[in-house]
Amino acid sequence: MAETSWLTEFPEMDRNSLIDLRKMFDAGYREFSRSYGDAIESFFDPLLVFLVWFEKLLIQSPWWAVLLVMTVLAYLGSRSIKLSLGVVAAFLLIGYFGMWDNTMRTMSIIMVSTLLSIALGIPIGILMSRSDRAQAVVKTVLDVMQTMPAFVYLIPVVMLLGIGKVPGVIAVVVYAIPPVIRLTNLGIRLVDQEVLEAATAYGASRWQRLVGVQLPLAMPNIMAGINQTIMMALAMVVIASMIGVKGLGQPVLKSITNQYFTMGLFNGLAIVALAIIFDRLSQACARRTQKHLGDVRGE
Amino acid sequence: MKFARFCLSAVIFSFLIYPASAAAECGKVTLADMNWNSASLMANIDKYILRHGYGCDAELVPGDTQPTGTSMIEKGEPDIASELWSNSFTEALAKGVAEKRLRIAGKSLSDGGEEGFWVPKYMVDKDPSLATIEGIRKNAKLFKHPEDPDKSAFYGCPAGWNCQVTSGNLFRALKLADSGFDLVDPGSGAGLAGSIAKAYERKAPWFGYYWAPTGILGKYEMVKVDFGVGVDNEHWEKCISQADCRNPKVSMYPSSSVLTVTTERFASKAPEAYGYLTRRAFTNALMNKNLAWMEANQADGDVAMEHFLKNYEAVWSKWVSNDVRDKIKTALPK
Repeated sequence: MAETSWLTEFPEMDRNSLIDLRKMFDAGYREFSRSYGDAIESFFDPLLVFLVWFEKLLIQSPWWAVLLVMTVLAYLGSRSIKLSLGVVAAFLLIGYFGMWDNTMRTMSIIMVSTLLSIALGIPIGILMSRSDRAQAVVKTVLDVMQTMPAFVYLIPVVMLLGIGKVPGVIAVVVYAIPPVIRLTNLGIRLVDQEVLEAATAYGASRWQRLVGVQLPLAMPNIMAGINQTIMMALAMVVIASMIGVKGLGQPVLKSITNQYFTMGLFNGLAIVALAIIFDRLSQACARRTQKHLGDVRGE
Repeated sequence: MKFARFCLSAVIFSFLIYPASAAAECGKVTLADMNWNSASLMANIDKYILRHGYGCDAELVPGDTQPTGTSMIEKGEPDIASELWSNSFTEALAKGVAEKRLRIAGKSLSDGGEEGFWVPKYMVDKDPSLATIEGIRKNAKLFKHPEDPDKSAFYGCPAGWNCQVTSGNLFRALKLADSGFDLVDPGSGAGLAGSIAKAYERKAPWFGYYWAPTGILGKYEMVKVDFGVGVDNEHWEKCISQADCRNPKVSMYPSSSVLTVTTERFASKAPEAYGYLTRRAFTNALMNKNLAWMEANQADGDVAMEHFLKNYEAVWSKWVSNDVRDKIKTALPK
């Protein structure tokens, strides 16, 4: 070993200590999962029960009933005949090509994940908008969540909770929640200071200002965040199926490993169809709820 | 020849004219680094020996049984699959060999690979009947399904793997569904291994497909479930290994031949390096020892390769000439 070796080669940690370090953390995690795994699993049990129930509901209801409900929801959300007819056509095609059950499975997991993301994301976003320090911390965490390769946290989750729906939902939420948090934060921070002052002058409390002024004015941004969250949740379908979540992701995986191109394409297109339906629906819904903002936004 | 350096077609042309000289310097070789430990170890060893012993410009590319096998047949790339489990890839492999696209260099695992349905050893210690399929059927309630309390779980092979066909057909042949079992698709190798690890850490019941030699079976002791019948090779090839098998019958997994497969191009281009591949083989005992070492030290194929070359010279020096052995020994970091 020449003395200058650190000049040419990076002075890296000794391989054995590195392995010891890795082994130490792994053993620690294993210990943790052994002692708390069951408790954590039972904590998520209600979520699992709900997921199973919701999936069964979607699959076991007659197809026309699901179709009808979806169409009515689409119409109520958008008040657009064209969009509603599009929804009907998309679902009929999906059913005709034999992907109905898998689509229902995927839809149930996406809906639950999205609702969970919104329920967790909006409060975090509000908190973030209140304090610059919180914003700095949360932003870093969000960056990690969005870029960390999914399998890095998926396998520890599998060791803790097993394979199936709950780890799947966790994976999807981790990946999909950042937009709704970021845009809630941004939306609230963009609300005019003068509007807030006016509200304070009228004697509005902090809560009243939040619910009556900040959130409604931030709505366009929050809706954009929710929309992005839905899209990202759908993008995770295939990854989630790698830990045993049933749905459209599994045939995609199967077709990738076997080079069944058409099968992959069909199932991929079904995911795209779901994405488009959810996207247009949430956008139309957002536009309708924000009609009163038309003058403010100058649309 | 001056022009040849600048003109791609001329390079290819000269390469076609001078296969003999190309053999001496074996050129660029790609090896499939499959995503499980034994194959990764083997690919790393091959890469090292080809590079330092035979002067090949050897490089690893990620691989997996089906995509690698298909790509080798269709595109002639990668050049070498160091550990190809052939028993459900039989037809395509035979076709590739017959069409002179592939060459089988030899067995990478001389004992062959072992597949089957397994239960953890601690369960069999408690109730020896669980080592048989009858006992499993009777105690189906033990193997709780992760999502449905009314069902029992059988962890099958991940979607798209060869073993998905065989394990699915055997699941039907054994009529496990009648005993309340549901075939759970773990989605990926990592998912399947994770489910075993989760069960084992908590001494929970587990029943599913796995294979050996693997680090998982080295680390977590499992017992192969006896189906109460022998191996029916003929039926296996005709039906169980086929996706469209109508009436699968029960059979144990035949020990599968695990082969080193190369493209015809590589075999004819570098006969000496090919010769090494025909001799390179692991017994299961040797492989298990190395896999256990990998598990214990969290080593990847790269590190384990070094460990192997340093500690098992008696084994690998039989695969190469004395001259090559010396080259590799000097290349090894001290």
